[in-house]
Amino acid sequence: MTRVALLAAALAAVYFSGSGYLVNLAVVTALFALPALGLSLLMGYTGQISLGHAAFVGLGAYASAILAKSLGLDPWLALALAVVATTAVAWGIGWLVFRLRGHHLAMATLAFGIIVHVATVEMKGLTGGQDGLSGIPPLSVFGLELGTDRAVFPLAWLACIAAILLAENLVRSPAGLTMRAVAENEAVAASFGIAPDALKRRIMAISGCYAALGGAIYGHYLGYISPGPFDVGFSIRLLLMVALGGFAGIWSVLFGVVFVVVTSELLKPFGRFDVVIYGVLLVVVMIYCPRGLLDGLGLAARALGRRLAGARAAE
Amino acid sequence: MTELAQYVASGLVVGAIYGLIAIGFTAVYNVTGIVNFAQGDFAMLGALGAIGLTAAGVPLAPAVVLAALAVGLAGVVIERVAIRPAGPDVLRGIIITIGVGVSLQGVAVLVWGTDAQPLPAFSGEKPIDLAGVTVPPQALWVVGTAAALMAGLYLFFARTYLGKAFRACAINAFAASLMGIPTSAIRALSFFVSGLVGAIAGIIVAPIALMQYDSGIFLGIKGFVACIIGGFGNPIGAALGGLALGLLEALATGYLSSGYKNAIAFVVLLAFLFARPGGILGELEGAKR
Repeated sequence: MTRVALLAAALAAVYFSGSGYLVNLAVVTALFALPALGLSLLMGYTGQISLGHAAFVGLGAYASAILAKSLGLDPWLALALAVVATTAVAWGIGWLVFRLRGHHLAMATLAFGIIVHVATVEMKGLTGGQDGLSGIPPLSVFGLELGTDRAVFPLAWLACIAAILLAENLVRSPAGLTMRAVAENEAVAASFGIAPDALKRRIMAISGCYAALGGAIYGHYLGYISPGPFDVGFSIRLLLMVALGGFAGIWSVLFGVVFVVVTSELLKPFGRFDVVIYGVLLVVVMIYCPRGLLDGLGLAARALGRRLAGARAAE
Repeated sequence: MTELAQYVASGLVVGAIYGLIAIGFTAVYNVTGIVNFAQGDFAMLGALGAIGLTAAGVPLAPAVVLAALAVGLAGVVIERVAIRPAGPDVLRGIIITIGVGVSLQGVAVLVWGTDAQPLPAFSGEKPIDLAGVTVPPQALWVVGTAAALMAGLYLFFARTYLGKAFRACAINAFAASLMGIPTSAIRALSFFVSGLVGAIAGIIVAPIALMQYDSGIFLGIKGFVACIIGGFGNPIGAALGGLALGLLEALATGYLSSGYKNAIAFVVLLAFLFARPGGILGELEGAKR
């Protein structure tokens, strides 16, 4: 709870700092954090890799935008329907892919991500193809349209904090223990009476729900979506965020998201250099800090401290 | 009839490429137990390397050899720097090879930009007529090179001392090390072979299909599908799987619609993953037990 209070204080400071730039970064962070948290539940706590998570973000964004724009539904209703539909799709995909594990699971989820991306490009009548969909009606509260950074900020972070609290609750609950048991050893988990496949499907559904919520809010906030942001590269960036957070750890994954958002801002002047940095970062983190960047830096700092202490003792 | 022959011809050309990439997958998988998600990027890197060298004025033949060897050596470096320190964990291996692939794509963007690059065809553009089937001369280069390379690899694995050491590591690395086989050198060799074969696949297909920094992802997935069809443990099966996938794609493109071309690979992937994850010829794993 203190962490949530600290987070809220930091957010309030950002919101009232008057800097439009910081508020924008905070909104982006919240919208990335939703799918990243979902991926962390699936990969970190349940031990199942997904290389196609951008697809759920895209499905949420497109479903909500199409429902609101083409069918003229109220944006809130469209958002709710889109999230529910994507959750169902995620459950169904889980039913398909969780017959597989390891390399095969990774490749099948990667293929799923690419299929959805190609579909958003090719189904021009529905999605507008490469040109995307514009003029998506914004969400509104009592006549106030949530189309600007400052207006969408409270909504994005309320959704994000709710997601954090629910995820923490899930992880602490008996279901959280079964998730970790399945991640640790499926055969042992099954011998305790846990049904691993049913559990994985459920976590996939929750994970898809988080991703879709992030995507749907993103679409209504920008008013324009195109297939570009929901490609394999985004799936891999989500993977990087979760890896930087050490996979299992709600708050450390949030740190991973902030780290990636800030790094990509800092790297903007260098053009396309960021892709190399992401790739190298992914490799380095996986080799040297399997429990996340914070943990790795902590270990390095302690090792350095010991060495300094040793040097002093030697003098 | 001619139509069918035309589709079969183009399917075999594309299939030869998929087969080569699939062989690259099996070389690494059998020795290290890792599926190299950067495999397709080796092909992209080889092609762009050859294109860059020819653009810099190097004649075609040495450019091709240099680019292929350079990617092979890059494979050795990647094994030493990124793969070996990570240990045998499957999930880590996947994520690290993805990281390697992303880095290679990033380097390609920095060096060659995001535009598709052409490589001049090896022997002109004038189409050749083979009993009513027209093929570009490059198609013969692709099929010929692929066949020669596959035969060469087969002889290497079956007949040479080094090839036998390689296969011993694939069957049981620990027992192989007890027999005095330097397993870490063989691991490096597996990455060299996979980088070399992948790069050659990329280079010979570059004059037919334009190459750009992200072409590797699709080539990699197609190669993986070829492995799934033919079996991961089996280089011959993987090569045949590549040909089968190429044929299927060409026929689907011809008789259904070109929009379905990429979908076919994924449908085949999913169908095989669910029905026969060991592939048609089965995995070496099955024989081990």
